[in-house]
Amino acid sequence: MSYHFAIVGTRDNPLFDLDFGTSKLGGDGLSHFKPEAAHMNQFILHASLDMVEEVQWANKDLYLKKIDSYQNNSIHCFLTATNVKFLLLMNPDPSATPYSQHTPGTTTSPPPRAAANAKHSATLLAANPSSPQTEEAVRVFMGEVYESYVKCTLNPFYRANQIITSPIFRSRVQAAAKKYL
Amino acid sequence: MTTKPDDPLQSPQESDAESVVANPRRRPKRSPLSSVSTLPYRRSNASLSSIFASTTSLSAQQNAASSGESGPATPTATVVDGSVFSPGASTVAGNAGGGRPPSPVIPTGHAGADLGIRDLILRAFAPHVSVLASQDTDELLRHKGIHGGLLELLRPFGERSQGKVTIRDSSGVSRSWDDYGIRFTGVKDGLESPRLVDRRSTDSTASQRNGKIASLLEYKPARLRTGGDVPQVEDVVERHLTFAEEQSGPVEADYISHKDVQPSSADSTSPFYHLYLRRLLSGLPLVPSETFSHPVASVIAISSRSPNPIEELRNLFAASNQGEHRLPQWVHNEFLRYYVLVHDEDYDDITKSMQLFDQMKRHFGLHCHLLRLRSTQCVPSDDGATRLPHPEWLAAGEELSEIVRRESSEDDEDPTPYIFTSDADAIKAFVREMVTQSIIPSMERASATWNDQVASRRRGLSGRFMSLSKRFTTFGSIGGNRNSSMPSMGSGGSNYDSLQGFYRPDAPEAIMRKLADYSMMLRDFKLAQSTYEILCGDFKADKAWRHYAAANEMAAVSTLLATSGLSTKVRVEAVDQYLETAYYSYVTRVGAPYNALRTLVLGIELLKVRGGSALDDAARWLIKALDDRVVGPVGHVLMMERIAACFSERKGVAGLSSGERRRKAGFWDMSAADAWLMMDKTLQAEKCLAEATRLYQRGDADVRFEGMSGFLNTLQEAVKSNRHGLQHLDGDDLLDQEDDERTLVEPLQSEPDRLGPRSPGLGHRKSLSTAAPPSLQTGLAGQTTAFDDPLGAVPSAYQGEVAGSTYPEGTVPSTPLSPHGVDVPGSTPRVSTSGGSKRDDGFE
Repeated sequence: MSYHFAIVGTRDNPLFDLDFGTSKLGGDGLSHFKPEAAHMNQFILHASLDMVEEVQWANKDLYLKKIDSYQNNSIHCFLTATNVKFLLLMNPDPSATPYSQHTPGTTTSPPPRAAANAKHSATLLAANPSSPQTEEAVRVFMGEVYESYVKCTLNPFYRANQIITSPIFRSRVQAAAKKYL
Repeated sequence: MTTKPDDPLQSPQESDAESVVANPRRRPKRSPLSSVSTLPYRRSNASLSSIFASTTSLSAQQNAASSGESGPATPTATVVDGSVFSPGASTVAGNAGGGRPPSPVIPTGHAGADLGIRDLILRAFAPHVSVLASQDTDELLRHKGIHGGLLELLRPFGERSQGKVTIRDSSGVSRSWDDYGIRFTGVKDGLESPRLVDRRSTDSTASQRNGKIASLLEYKPARLRTGGDVPQVEDVVERHLTFAEEQSGPVEADYISHKDVQPSSADSTSPFYHLYLRRLLSGLPLVPSETFSHPVASVIAISSRSPNPIEELRNLFAASNQGEHRLPQWVHNEFLRYYVLVHDEDYDDITKSMQLFDQMKRHFGLHCHLLRLRSTQCVPSDDGATRLPHPEWLAAGEELSEIVRRESSEDDEDPTPYIFTSDADAIKAFVREMVTQSIIPSMERASATWNDQVASRRRGLSGRFMSLSKRFTTFGSIGGNRNSSMPSMGSGGSNYDSLQGFYRPDAPEAIMRKLADYSMMLRDFKLAQSTYEILCGDFKADKAWRHYAAANEMAAVSTLLATSGLSTKVRVEAVDQYLETAYYSYVTRVGAPYNALRTLVLGIELLKVRGGSALDDAARWLIKALDDRVVGPVGHVLMMERIAACFSERKGVAGLSSGERRRKAGFWDMSAADAWLMMDKTLQAEKCLAEATRLYQRGDADVRFEGMSGFLNTLQEAVKSNRHGLQHLDGDDLLDQEDDERTLVEPLQSEPDRLGPRSPGLGHRKSLSTAAPPSLQTGLAGQTTAFDDPLGAVPSAYQGEVAGSTYPEGTVPSTPLSPHGVDVPGSTPRVSTSGGSKRDDGFE
């Protein structure tokens, strides 16, 4: 179970990104993405911006909930007042994501990841990306990150669409992730 | 170097491709090194290039031309292509040279291409006409040099009947169609599974062909003409792709000219996807649950050589009714019989034949035709010689075996027989007369009758009551009644024979299914849709799942075809429901992956034609197909391309970018490029990548995500380094390179996207194209193990990364030419092409 969190600016420019894993249920808090996920996650998040642009007009909340999915990744979005997007990609089992690789298998047999995952899938947030619990957890996480983000941007030297380098902000996001996800 | 059988320099990809063809099922057992690349050999085989050119791909054709390939393009090549991609194009032969499009792009715009796909789907559901010829007719045709008998001669001409065909629909409105065609089939085509080995082929008409191919003994023509096998479709497309790749050649100018035309290719459909679609829809298997491949008519042919013609005809007729040519009992046997007298122009007396023909008319009525053919063999130098056109709607297995046959034959000539133009004209006239005067009217009459007697009783309020009462009386009926077949309707119990899984052909459900299928073939989609709708309910009540799935599939297709302007609500509710039900039933209740894939593909393509928000639905179904893995590796990538095409067609609302799917399209194009590279299909990868880059850069600026732009650059580099197609690689260079590669492997694997400037290996490869063809030192033999390591280890390293993926049998494992390990495996395929003299060795 791994997460990729990114803040995307108004010009589709990344401001901040962080990989982490779950700390609940004995998780080690580290992400276990495949090596190619380093860029694939960015591609997936970037592609989901299309959905953000569509959903944002139909949703009155800032938290847009789950907006997109790719294979077993699902993307939740939180839209800030300045059109900066917080995107959270969650993947219950990164090793089962084939990306552009073709994995053989027939429809008659269930995908192996379902079996491998079945034992603790019910308890994982990312396994049920649109369940109320997940949405609630992500909402609280996003709220906390938003608070830190606002404080960070209050810095008089911070310009719009500038990359966030503050280590304090990063540690706060990590703390929020540890706490809620 | 290639003379050594276990030469480690042997490209795994090429050798696998070769062995796949030779024997798809035994491929995994063969050592990938056992056969030396046959690429150079194939390249010199003109007959092979013509089969690829004539069957499909414009790009193969174009590349064949641009790389200096001197294979004689069949006159029919452009004809066939033109007819597929631009439906309006004439099928008349003769525009060979001039008709070649300047680029691998489909000549019509993308809207045209989409309409082309709609037409393709329309034409996929064509009436099937079985051909039953007497011995002496086939004898006569063998003299002409056509070994497949009358069927082989007629087949290409049936696919598009000359001129307009006018059809009256159920409400009495006539509509003319330009592209109407029928499919000539053997009597028992479609019955056997294309992969079954041990069953004897019962089709005598084409049994000549398999004698030629010793290695293909497992293929029997009647079975070959059965489609419905997804791995075979994948194989064929893979062969075409490989061919296109080989033909792209090392000519630099080739690429430059490609680059010029690329922007215009943005939204067009890949010719390979067209091929995939067409092969998927050709050779529909003969099954009880749908009647598209059941014959609507049968051509019974005798020749003027027959000593006792009328008796012969009677025998053939009887054989088709009771004898060896009788179809299974679930096939409606009261189809039209069309009697043909083949007159031998060269040896027989026309007055005698005319007399005989008059006699035939007296005995058998109006459905007769006198077909005048010359019986001498036609050679290319004859006046008015023309090649027998290549049938478009070949089943995948058939095309595959043809490719293999030509590849393995030493003969450089295109084995397609020549026929006289007069013969071609006679056959065209015959087909047209048969279609317009016999087949269409009889189909119209049949569907009017069935509509009157069976279907209309089920429509309206009373019909609904009837189906209700039918459902409820099932409970009241005595147990065991279920299996008895009751021809009358509403008498309690069901007509479904659940033990054998079919309805008797005279059961109302079977007749309605036939009515619906007939109206699909006659392109009366409204009638078809309403009939399928009723059928869905009936089949569900009877728990006839295969029938249920098939009816749902066709209900979705006919709904999409019937109305041009569906409201979103109707579409989502009806079509989605149909597709979902059909797909679910095919997959879980019946276990028919081919049908499931066909359902999805038909639904997707017809949704895509609609545009607007239907594009999202199409993309959603495509993604579902990918996630459920209903396709093989080739289809996987082609579908990715298709998703990208769907998304890039989405237009924003009111000029805003909201609602556009530019980023998603770019993402899927990038994925496709990556996947093509993994399969070693640089040409395709390049196209996808160019499209992806275009989409990503259309906004104000470049992509700002570091990992993304890095990966795009990596892909670009990978494409660039492979662009020259097959190159000559010097053994010394390879030795030098080895060290680089070895050290590179690990870093590349662990840090795939931070490659930055490409490794020295790239520089090597660039210089390789200019290197002279090598003569490898004998010392290299001792180095075998040293070579084995980089070439063997890298693929496994890559595959370990993808969690031990194995490939389904009959598919070619891709060379792991991903940008993650670009340099390493990418350099290997080139080795195989070096040196002309070794090729033949390897081929043996």
